[in-house]
Amino acid sequence: MVRVLSMVVLGLAVLVSGCASRVNYGDAQARETVTTDFGSTDLQMIAAKMVDDMMVFPPIVAITQSRRPVMFVDQVKNKTSEHIDTESVTDTIQSKLINSGKFRFVDMTVVNKVRQQLEYQQDSGMVDQSTATQMGRQIGAEFMLYGNLSSIVKRDDSTKDVYYKFTLKMLNIQTGIIEWSGEKEIRKTRKRTLFGL
Amino acid sequence: MRVLIRNVVLCVCLATLLAGCATRSLFQPYPSQAQSWKSALGPSGGASAIKRLQDGAESRDGVLYLQELGRVEQLAGDDRASRDAFAGAFVHYQQNDEAARLRASSLVSNTGALLINDNARPYVAPDYERIYAHAYQALNYWADGDVTGTAVELRAAANEQRVAANRRDGEIADANSGANDLDLSRYQGYFEGLDAAAGRVKASFQNAWTFYLSALFWEAHGEYNDALVDYKKALEIQPDLDFIKEDVQRVSRSLDGARPLRGQGLVAVLFEQGFVPERQPLSLPIPTPHGIFVVSFPTYGLQGKPAPYPLTVRAGALESKTRVLADVGGLAAKNLREQVPGLLLRQTLRATAKYNLQKKANDDFGPVGALFTQLFNVVSEQADLRGWLSLPAYGQATRLLLPPGQQTLILSTPGGSATLTVPVVEGGLTVIHVAAPPGRLLTRVLPVQEGAL
Repeated sequence: MVRVLSMVVLGLAVLVSGCASRVNYGDAQARETVTTDFGSTDLQMIAAKMVDDMMVFPPIVAITQSRRPVMFVDQVKNKTSEHIDTESVTDTIQSKLINSGKFRFVDMTVVNKVRQQLEYQQDSGMVDQSTATQMGRQIGAEFMLYGNLSSIVKRDDSTKDVYYKFTLKMLNIQTGIIEWSGEKEIRKTRKRTLFGL
Repeated sequence: MRVLIRNVVLCVCLATLLAGCATRSLFQPYPSQAQSWKSALGPSGGASAIKRLQDGAESRDGVLYLQELGRVEQLAGDDRASRDAFAGAFVHYQQNDEAARLRASSLVSNTGALLINDNARPYVAPDYERIYAHAYQALNYWADGDVTGTAVELRAAANEQRVAANRRDGEIADANSGANDLDLSRYQGYFEGLDAAAGRVKASFQNAWTFYLSALFWEAHGEYNDALVDYKKALEIQPDLDFIKEDVQRVSRSLDGARPLRGQGLVAVLFEQGFVPERQPLSLPIPTPHGIFVVSFPTYGLQGKPAPYPLTVRAGALESKTRVLADVGGLAAKNLREQVPGLLLRQTLRATAKYNLQKKANDDFGPVGALFTQLFNVVSEQADLRGWLSLPAYGQATRLLLPPGQQTLILSTPGGSATLTVPVVEGGLTVIHVAAPPGRLLTRVLPVQEGAL
């Protein structure tokens, strides 16, 4: 009888804990450690490290003292074994740099849209020419940001170890000199537990 | 009263096990289910076969059905659906890798397996299937023109190959301690680090076809270092293939700054022949404390394995035949052989459990109960015949160096032939993916790869 009772209690416990799924808002900056895959915390750590490094680098401090140089972001190559949206990482870095007030950016991903709009303003006959934006007045970028994200994955039956290395470079387009380069390394390890559900 | 409660509880438990572990291969052997989608393989798709696979994907053998679905959708020409299916299978891989080693849930299915058969255990994809899944996923991204995605999947396939090798470090070390009989002295230095003895061992769990695929891809994108490593790994596993030796030499020259593909483009034909052999049930007498109990055991029959035949590619005066890079039946057989100790242990336990069940039924319920348990034991005695069955029997490949422009190729096999006009780009790579289920020839030309990644 005792056994039957304990089985009933166990069944109830499973049922009760099973019903406990609900939606919560969390802190977007909280550490996320669900899997070893590239996640939000990695993205935030990389962006913060890149911007902090760049802002305190003496030559950059000198360049940005009296003016706000114009940059554009090329791509960060994904050289990992995961499908990672590297544009999302560079977007965060770009936002932080713009908000620092030290840099300005041109966006190469919207060039075609901008051209369409300019042509519409100039040629369609629909726009008052005294207010139309003029062609050929855009500011050329002085620097280019580009980089790599690579990873080394090691796995055996009990452990998975992932090492990410994010490299970002800032190139002076005129001189071809790399003015600054930053690197962020991340290591994540996951060990399988012995017991679980 | 207590006996009644116990029996009721037992019945309920048994019913739950049977219903809950709805791994569909419990009483219907998996190979007979697989016939429906194997026969429908091709551009027509076979909507009913796909529906069956989608239903199967929800079961506890989900990973197996998702792999099959990915392959069927890929050959049906629906790369997006195939990509989703493989992505679903990868989620299973990850869950399996990260799950606790001793799980309460697997305890339940193991108990089920103890009473019924091994098919009650959720399917776990072996190394060689994981390697293939990532390679096929790479082909999906490739067909879609997503170069970064292709590169990611090829790296993931390489990771799986490495894990497969690390698991068998001991075997490789044993082979290395033997004589090194690979005579490559006339290729001065190109073949350092190759070991034929280790290669033969690696051939039983690593996949030279996948290595060759990724080597071609890296070479086309100017990643000569990666290409050299993968060509060498393919050559180590298949040391007799002269065209890979030429590839190694060509990429070595590229690494030195030469441009060996000046005025030429690579055209590679990846040929997948037939279907991987199915597991066969074998009646095996297992000794238990109460006498001999006959159980059904999975094995690979000698007759089931088709002989490899080449695909001949003709481009004008040039002619080339595909060679076997991966013997998938061999990979599957090696995987089964590694599982034998565990299988034997479970079969012995199961034989004992079933004997006890029968004896108890005889004691408690008399001849009728005994008859029913006997019936249950016979019906439930099914060998675990599960495995990814839409894989080919052999992964073959060859390649030609052709002048740029549109080139007409004639592909011929004993099962059929096809004429294709393909674009060739200087320094680029054109891949023709050919699958040959019995009696058919399915071909597709993948987008040309060239330029930096």
